Amino acid sequence: MVTTERLKTCLANIKKRDKEINAFLELRPEKELLEDAKRIDEKIKEKKAGRLAGKIIAIKANINVEGMNASCASRVLENYKAPYDANVISRIKEEDGLIIGITNMDEFACGFSGETSAFGPTKNPIKKGLIPGGSSSGSAAAVLAEFCDMALGSDTGGSIRNPASICGVIGLKPSYGSVSRYGLIDLSMSLDQIGPLARTVEDIALLFNVIQGKDDKDSVSINSKKLEINEITKIPKEIKIGFLNLDGLKVDNRIKNLIDNKVKEISKKNGWKIKDIKIKHLDLAVETYYPLVYVEFYSATRRFDGRKYGRKIEDFAGPEVLRRVLGGSEITKAEYKGRYYNSALKVKKFIEEEFSKNFKDVDCVISPTLPRLPWKIGEKISVEDGYATDILTIPSNLAGNCAISIPTGKIDGIPVGLQIICDKLQEQKLLQIANSFLS
Amino acid sequence: MDLLWHKVSEEEKEEIKKQAKRIMADFSKKLDAVRGEIKEGGKDEVNFGREEGGKPVEIDREILLGNAPIKNKDFIIAEKGEW
Repeated sequence: MVTTERLKTCLANIKKRDKEINAFLELRPEKELLEDAKRIDEKIKEKKAGRLAGKIIAIKANINVEGMNASCASRVLENYKAPYDANVISRIKEEDGLIIGITNMDEFACGFSGETSAFGPTKNPIKKGLIPGGSSSGSAAAVLAEFCDMALGSDTGGSIRNPASICGVIGLKPSYGSVSRYGLIDLSMSLDQIGPLARTVEDIALLFNVIQGKDDKDSVSINSKKLEINEITKIPKEIKIGFLNLDGLKVDNRIKNLIDNKVKEISKKNGWKIKDIKIKHLDLAVETYYPLVYVEFYSATRRFDGRKYGRKIEDFAGPEVLRRVLGGSEITKAEYKGRYYNSALKVKKFIEEEFSKNFKDVDCVISPTLPRLPWKIGEKISVEDGYATDILTIPSNLAGNCAISIPTGKIDGIPVGLQIICDKLQEQKLLQIANSFLS
Repeated sequence: MDLLWHKVSEEEKEEIKKQAKRIMADFSKKLDAVRGEIKEGGKDEVNFGREEGGKPVEIDREILLGNAPIKNKDFIIAEKGEW
């Protein structure tokens, strides 16, 4: 009765706290969930169950789950029912994972705080009144509040790692192409990646192993090597950490010191080496990222014209979505295309090459996940300061690397995430290093 | 800015448009400053359209019609010649 018991615990937690937290936009009917749990438990008894049997999983509202509302937390798709399963969902179902419901998020993943949802912000489950981070706000909050065992999010510039850091859970952005995006309602095609959030590295590894792999329906997806799950808890030897030089970036000193001390402590304990590294033009990550996102998001949203499904995006979206749609519309015009988009593509490639160069010498690059502590829900901040929240997470999206945020301590009772970045398709090494920090 | 969702008026839309243009112009200036250091042609072309192969997915008729903004019993209704 593993699944049924887990499900009952999660449902009880949801009933107790989700009115306040607002992590879920839709839950599957309880009767249907209990029937599914019973069916999975039968399979466990007969030793025929899949790898995710017993796990309760929540899904971000921009990933299609057949028959459920893939609203992207927007009034534009308020009544839209997903007509098919995303590739990651088919894989989860095949392995007997139990999908409990659809989580809240920043509208169309346009946000970094969890506040831009048209259905109300997700609240931070640890610190009342603070943002939970975004855009996968509901997924991170649901994992933290034990409304589920694991969740799926999407990460275009930090949207898995940012809320994972603030909520004190683990969030993995896989290498670009290692997980199919078929069935993901995209924000920015060249940067989007679906990934897992969970409370343990083992659960992250388990879910990633299920969702990764080539899919004919996503032309950029690749057949990456499956993880050796049994090796995840082994502490790797002779690791050389690249400690990211943060000169010129606005990073809270308390966060810097916390990460610095943790890296020194773990390196000493495991006999690892540390080398300071500098990624040239890292300070331009935000300036590079947003022109790409504006243009690609504008292009992706042309289908939301209110004809086949949903409502017209220009008439029903909130301010941050409109900023990206209207800004994208402007810079897509021929006279601006070279100036904005092509310049950004060149710097993207440059940053990717800088990472590749450094990964010839170090096994991973470590930094804080976020440069600042979370603010209060509703607090006014400038667009530039808001966008700079993701300055340390954006670079691995630009470079296509894999990256993870793990909890590493607290400042004033607020969790602080440590980010580990590894070269493309090095998830095995990444997860083993992450686990060494947590064990 | 206030990040909380709210319905946007036509005046606010105009403001947002101006703001987005200003932000992009500022970002562009910063990128221009390093143009000399970054070699020409050093970029990957990006294809916005996701090429999708494999078998087409069968979509449930009820869901398809349920999602349509304007429909009758059997059809999605749309403006003639518009799409």
